[in-house]
Amino acid sequence: MDINDLNDLRNEFEALQKRNMLLEECAEGCELDEESREEYPDYLAAIYTEIMPPVKSGIYFSRWDLKTLASTLGESFALDVRERMFKKFMQWVGTPEDMQEVIRVFKEHIDMKCDLYRDYSERYPSSKPIFDEKIKKADSAKRYLDKVYTEFFT
Amino acid sequence: MQENILTQQIARINIYALLSRLLMSEVDEEMLELILKDENMLSFFPTFESWEKREHYSNKDLIEKYLNVDFTNLLLLHLIPYESFYTREDQMMETGGDNPVQAIFNAFEFNVALDKARVMAADHIAIELEFMYELAKAELKAIEEGNMQIAKEIAQIEYGFLKDHILEWAPMFLLNMKNEAGTAFYYDLADFALEFILSDFEYLSELKKRDYDYLAGSK
Repeated sequence: MDINDLNDLRNEFEALQKRNMLLEECAEGCELDEESREEYPDYLAAIYTEIMPPVKSGIYFSRWDLKTLASTLGESFALDVRERMFKKFMQWVGTPEDMQEVIRVFKEHIDMKCDLYRDYSERYPSSKPIFDEKIKKADSAKRYLDKVYTEFFT
Repeated sequence: MQENILTQQIARINIYALLSRLLMSEVDEEMLELILKDENMLSFFPTFESWEKREHYSNKDLIEKYLNVDFTNLLLLHLIPYESFYTREDQMMETGGDNPVQAIFNAFEFNVALDKARVMAADHIAIELEFMYELAKAELKAIEEGNMQIAKEIAQIEYGFLKDHILEWAPMFLLNMKNEAGTAFYYDLADFALEFILSDFEYLSELKKRDYDYLAGSK
């Protein structure tokens, strides 16, 4: 057997193994959604397109939510069009540490909403699948925030 | 034999009507009086019932100084009470004829006068709840006439519309409305609306489990 064939075979095997590991890691519901997300030129576009839409993150970030989240980091801006408020918030980020703080408050907000979803799911079990789907999206959104940090700030 | 079913159905109709009305436009004196005088209705507004501002202001002043301002903030200015915003990846509202909810309404000949309702699209929360009100009314009529097959079909539509539309987005909106309300009235309204749609879905799910046999539950 040619050594090149062996190398090809090994590469194929490793790729397969890597994929299986990924599938095992995702067996509890993470899906391969992080991989299927688009590439973005900057963190602002990435978060606005992947986290801000309720249909993608399972969470509604309102104008007041953005204002409150920013104020916990000592930043203040007027209520405005949601997209402009989001941009102002993101423009506050100057260092990787700032971004870590932004991600922290976003995650805390997401967790707070998911706790409410869980509470309603317990009290109204027929709605559990609907809330579970939102929690799944929210978990994926949190992982994506980490990915954004790694991609744009490290 | 159908006393309980009819009573429950009438209650559902009344609640859908009340929620739709209060989420569609500002509360007026007549409406507020109605709520304050009716023990059942007032029980849905426990925070408002003991709101200290009620001691200092007439209903007219309460509406003009506080409730109307809050309604404007919550339902016109800062929050988005339209389904399409929550279901589209571009976070836009679908105000045209391509709105999937509008298509459902068209199929059922449920006509929405957008200008009269002062809404931009048919998938406004108040309109979707009004649609449920109309369905529940039709279901009641079918039950009263003993037309149980028709009642079953209408209940199936109600179940599907709640599951696929209202529950997909309204909890997100109502949780924010509750959190951002500046008055006890709209805080209670958001809480009441959220609890009701979830409990009504619980009721319809139970009905579905017993294949829409209304009497099975009352035996």
